[in-house]
Amino acid sequence: MSIKTPSPKAASSHYLEVPWSYLPKQFNDRAIEEIFARLRAFIPTGDFTLGKPLVEFEQKFAKLIGTKHAIGVNSGTDAIKLSLKALGIGPGDEVITAANTFIATVGAIVEIGATPIFVDCTDNFCLDAVALEAAITPRTKALLPVHFAGQMSDMPTIMDIAKRHSLPVVEDACQCILGNIDGKNAGSWGNSGAFSLHPLKNLNVWGDGGMIVTNDDALAQYLRKLRNHGLVNRDEVGIMGYNSRLDTTQAVVGNWLIEQVDFITDTRIAHAQILDAGLSAIQQITLPPRYTNRKLVYHLYMVFAEQRDELLQYCIAHGIETKVHYPLPVYLQPAVRNLCNTQLGDFATTDRHAKTMISFPAHEHLSKDHLEHIITTVARFYRE
Amino acid sequence: MQAVSVPYVQVNKQYVEEEPELLEIIRNVLSSRSYVLDSLIDELESELAEFCGTKYAVTLNSGTDALMLGMMAAGISRGDEVITPPNSFVASTTAIVHIGARPVFADVLPDQNIDPAAIESAITPKTKAIMAVHLTGRIAQMDLIQAIADKHGLMVIEDAAQAAGSRYLDKPAGSFGTIGCFSAHPLKNLNACGDSGFLTTNDAAIAQRVRRLRSHGMSDRSTVEEWGFVSRMDTLQAAIVQYRLKQLPTVIQRRREHAKFYQTHLQLPQVFIPACRPQEYNSFHTFVIQSERRDELATYLATQGISTAIHYPIPIHLQPAAKSLGHKPGSFPITEQQAQRILTLPVNQFLSREHQVAVVDAIKAFFAKDA
Repeated sequence: MSIKTPSPKAASSHYLEVPWSYLPKQFNDRAIEEIFARLRAFIPTGDFTLGKPLVEFEQKFAKLIGTKHAIGVNSGTDAIKLSLKALGIGPGDEVITAANTFIATVGAIVEIGATPIFVDCTDNFCLDAVALEAAITPRTKALLPVHFAGQMSDMPTIMDIAKRHSLPVVEDACQCILGNIDGKNAGSWGNSGAFSLHPLKNLNVWGDGGMIVTNDDALAQYLRKLRNHGLVNRDEVGIMGYNSRLDTTQAVVGNWLIEQVDFITDTRIAHAQILDAGLSAIQQITLPPRYTNRKLVYHLYMVFAEQRDELLQYCIAHGIETKVHYPLPVYLQPAVRNLCNTQLGDFATTDRHAKTMISFPAHEHLSKDHLEHIITTVARFYRE
Repeated sequence: MQAVSVPYVQVNKQYVEEEPELLEIIRNVLSSRSYVLDSLIDELESELAEFCGTKYAVTLNSGTDALMLGMMAAGISRGDEVITPPNSFVASTTAIVHIGARPVFADVLPDQNIDPAAIESAITPKTKAIMAVHLTGRIAQMDLIQAIADKHGLMVIEDAAQAAGSRYLDKPAGSFGTIGCFSAHPLKNLNACGDSGFLTTNDAAIAQRVRRLRSHGMSDRSTVEEWGFVSRMDTLQAAIVQYRLKQLPTVIQRRREHAKFYQTHLQLPQVFIPACRPQEYNSFHTFVIQSERRDELATYLATQGISTAIHYPIPIHLQPAAKSLGHKPGSFPITEQQAQRILTLPVNQFLSREHQVAVVDAIKAFFAKDA
């Protein structure tokens, strides 16, 4: 690993490195030894494709979310894509999703030939249920709410809309493992829920990975075929499938980390509360809504800030790895504009967020000093 | 005769042979905290390109994805027809279906590879590409296929999933077509410890586009240039593939020796073994014999402790998944006849001479029984 030379600013009492990435801490030397020991035991078995540790990981994952089934796939993107495909969505069908999501949500819709229809979000970064219902047309074939940044979409209302219009729901829960409303977890509301296990997610593996959860036996069975070349058994191909299996090697890492997921979640929530308390006292900062009946898991800790771009630079100059998710909303990406004829101004809230939102590190491996440094740096920026 | 157990695959033996190096490689990846699209990937891609004799190689999540993303990047799309053999693993065909193109099957030769004459008669005004599958590790007759492609202005796609390290006219698999598509699945001659694949090409634009397609279509952290996928080779697998690429020539050499032994000792009237042409250097991903009494023979060999397999008992055009393509039994007679006759013998690099003698003796004993 490269050793960073200390910045000249390091001497300043106003400088403290607050890293965005928790990976060096999560995978510290002791963790490396533990994972290595597990891989060392696993590799000789040769059980690499849909092997035993994967089955074990899927069972643990289903139990964690509270669903009957969990199906390991190659990525969160594939978890969405395969879910839609299994629900029979295809060319000509419209799928409604959020205008501010990560590109992968939309990519999954486009990949199967369907058309994404965007709706604006509310100040909790999740799609506006009223706008969602208004966007339904006879061509609408599925709803795809995104639990962005560890916030929860308004699932009780969305499920009610879905029921009235007889539409299936796929939850993009890639950023929201263990988020819930009234104790019901993200991913367990819709026909299926899609999770990402990418290294930068709250629960991750050592590379790309994803998981689909569902309570629907038939859907689960179909998805298991779909991820494995459509194979019904070794020789018979029932459907045109994909190669999208969660590597069993990655499941070995997942089985190790899943034991820590409560610690990860609880610590992030505690950190968010500290940041909330400190930042809400600053006039130029506005917090997104917090709810008494929702568990938000802060995959990203985001607030709204005046003079956002200057604040961003100021924080970075003072050692805080601050980011924006995302400066260019998905609906304005070149790939989307070509396809959907969307243009700037179509989604007012998303546009406002793109200019004002800012993401601070809040992960489980930060110390109280790190969090304090974020708060004092933001306060000092507005004082100066 | 004393029955010996002859295993079809021996992944465990591969591990025993490689253990010290493999463990060190895994430890290094863990210690370097390298996850996806690291500099290790660049290194491996250069080595793979060099090995395959192409300018570029792009690592991906699977051989299936190499076909899918590669054909997209090469400009094959909805409405186009791609000619392919119906006796491959199903992924060759599903890759065509998933990009919206139509698979058009052409029957095969006695050696199980696509028949150039059948290609010619399958060409229509909609044909965009010929996908040759190098089944069993034997490269299809690329000189003839390229000539047909040139004549009709078509692209050539190599499904080289089973042919890493194979050669034809002294050129490596993956260096013939517009793209070469490889799998490094655990059961391949060049194998990772999980799903992995890669693509080779001499076309800079295709390589660049596949690199974008494998990572959400993104040209940088914030810009989505086009609709993409997630299909990356994990660095953990990449490190293993990098190590095993160095072992591959030895692996192939051992398999070739086993194949040679079978070819020499199984000269029976009841067994057909397609000959190797002088211009072929086959890697023997599988060693397939053909026999009228395949099922009885397989059952008998099993009783003698010899594991065999069939690649593949149901041709793609007769699979339930292919129903909408509208084929019936009889559409591709050679493929269908072979599906009844083919039997894959163990040819893995860890077989002993004793194993091989047992296989040969058992086959001879089977046919001698009622002679």
